[in-house]
Amino acid sequence: MKILIIEDEKELAKSIVEYLSEESYLCEVAPTFTEAMNKIETFNYDCILLDITLPDGNGLKILEELKKENKQDGVIIISAKNSLDDKIKGLQIGADDYLTKPFHLSELTARIYSLMRRRQFNNSNIITQDELVIDLLAKTVSVNCESIALTKKEFDLLIYFIGNKNRVLSKSILAEHLSGDFADMLDNHDFVYAHVKNLKKKLSDAGCEQYIKTVYGTGYKWEG
Amino acid sequence: MKNLLQKSLRQLTIFASIVFALSIPSYFFLVDWIWLKELDENNYLIAQRIENEFNEQNISDEKLAESIKFWNEIQPVSKIKYSLQPLLKDSLYTIKRQNVYSKKEIIDRFRGLKTNIKINNKNHVLIVETNVEETEETVAYIAMATVFFFLILVIGFWVLNKRLSKKIWQPFQDTLQKLKSFQLNSQKSIDFLETDTIEFAELNATLDKLLQHSIATYRNQKEFTENASHELQTPLAILKNKVDILLQSDDLTEKQYHIAEEMNKALLRSSRTNKNLLLLAKIENSQFDSSELINFDTLAAQSIDGLLEHFKEKNLTVSSDIQPGIEVKGNSALTEILINNLIINAIRYTSPGGTIKVGLSKSGFEIRNSGDETLNPDLLFKRFSRIATDDNGSGLGLSIVQEICSFHSWKTTYNFENGEHIFKVLF
Repeated sequence: MKILIIEDEKELAKSIVEYLSEESYLCEVAPTFTEAMNKIETFNYDCILLDITLPDGNGLKILEELKKENKQDGVIIISAKNSLDDKIKGLQIGADDYLTKPFHLSELTARIYSLMRRRQFNNSNIITQDELVIDLLAKTVSVNCESIALTKKEFDLLIYFIGNKNRVLSKSILAEHLSGDFADMLDNHDFVYAHVKNLKKKLSDAGCEQYIKTVYGTGYKWEG
Repeated sequence: MKNLLQKSLRQLTIFASIVFALSIPSYFFLVDWIWLKELDENNYLIAQRIENEFNEQNISDEKLAESIKFWNEIQPVSKIKYSLQPLLKDSLYTIKRQNVYSKKEIIDRFRGLKTNIKINNKNHVLIVETNVEETEETVAYIAMATVFFFLILVIGFWVLNKRLSKKIWQPFQDTLQKLKSFQLNSQKSIDFLETDTIEFAELNATLDKLLQHSIATYRNQKEFTENASHELQTPLAILKNKVDILLQSDDLTEKQYHIAEEMNKALLRSSRTNKNLLLLAKIENSQFDSSELINFDTLAAQSIDGLLEHFKEKNLTVSSDIQPGIEVKGNSALTEILINNLIINAIRYTSPGGTIKVGLSKSGFEIRNSGDETLNPDLLFKRFSRIATDDNGSGLGLSIVQEICSFHSWKTTYNFENGEHIFKVLF
């Protein structure tokens, strides 16, 4: 799968490329507005990561151009601007998602994963891993054809794990994913522990293999 | 407190009354002196006339003595007496006596002259007396006139004052009104009224300079915060991503993992502080629309719902008394932050097993949480002044609450009653 990273900050682009390359993603970087425009005119991408503030232009213009050309590339805006206006404007023009800097790369991976799933499987978006079947649209999970009831947070966690297969997810990363901005304000590391424990228990009770492994004492990893 | 013109009017009135009071005896003495001087002159003229008239008769001494006797009878106020020796000196005097021409008993004042006249070359002494106005009457008339003019003066002062305060002080009043409505965070300078009064023009120029300077300083400070926060976003993002990559390395030891995790926590905190500073700068810049109609009750219910797990986690009892259909005008994103910050604050600072009460009515929104002792309300809403010992917060939560409230012109209050911290937002 091809991903275009339109980002002027070299180090940031480098990290994203490094992290994403471990998946089967093929990454290209465009550090300027002009370069980005050249690339989108010539090639098609599965996903474009778009920074709004570029040295020689506004990223939203690129998005407008993409929509004008009727290109089907999925677009995730990654911006240092947390302004609500930009967010709404970006999503209105046709971005698929919006991520505010600084973000965890695991968060980005999960978003790209969901976006890809949504675009590839429009009508039935079902993830299967051996005995485990997850319906992303209906938000249901079943093990060996027996459905199990997960809370909203547990389902969210499960998808996050699936989107970050074989990656180490630390407690603080999971806390940030679950609570967003409030993560540091509430001492919620036990809260993460409780949710993961419940999810693991529900899955194993239903006869699912234990894919969630504990690593380094407090981190987790979905193996599969 | 009195205004400036009233104060000066009072002083002027006191001064004028003193001057007028002093003028009454002065006028009296002056008038009386002129009066007597004129009468003395008049009496001398009369004496001269009498002397001339008798001498022009050219009559014998016997006949003269008879004439004088007769004259003395018909002129009771004057007297001519033969005298061997002339008087050494004329005498001028004032006496009070019954007016001989009047039948009623009236004591009048008279100015008298006793002088020498020569009739047929013989010395005679002549006494002439002329009626003078009484002292008391003169004083009374002068006092009446003075009081009359004093009243005219005071009324004049008063009327002039009123007109002056409207006209002359108008630029000053204008400046004052404009200063009263001045707000530093609006960053708009004041256009003072043009004036041809040197003092006011100087005042306006000085104020203008001062305001420009304050605005510039304020703007610089805000721009600095905003730019600094903005510039920090990128390095923070790079750091965060590098830690993410570090976490995925295969040869990471458990010790290194924990170091990376600590870095993650610190990064989360710094990026949150950064975001909050940016948010504060944006609110101060009024970069938010405040004309939305917000369903406050829905937002509050949503917020409580979203944080329900955290209440459970800390074993806190929540009770909410939210009136339905509370609509306020403002910015919904900011209002959401306001509610969340207040509730999260309550969750953080309530001991496990405590209670939190959320209330919403037409007058305002309030949160009560159980606590031990009252907090210093001066420090509570101040930036970076953490009252609690835990170091998780950004120290900006309540400052943001206050800033959002002042953006909406709402009021925040804090009280401690019956073992409860009470935070109120009054619409």
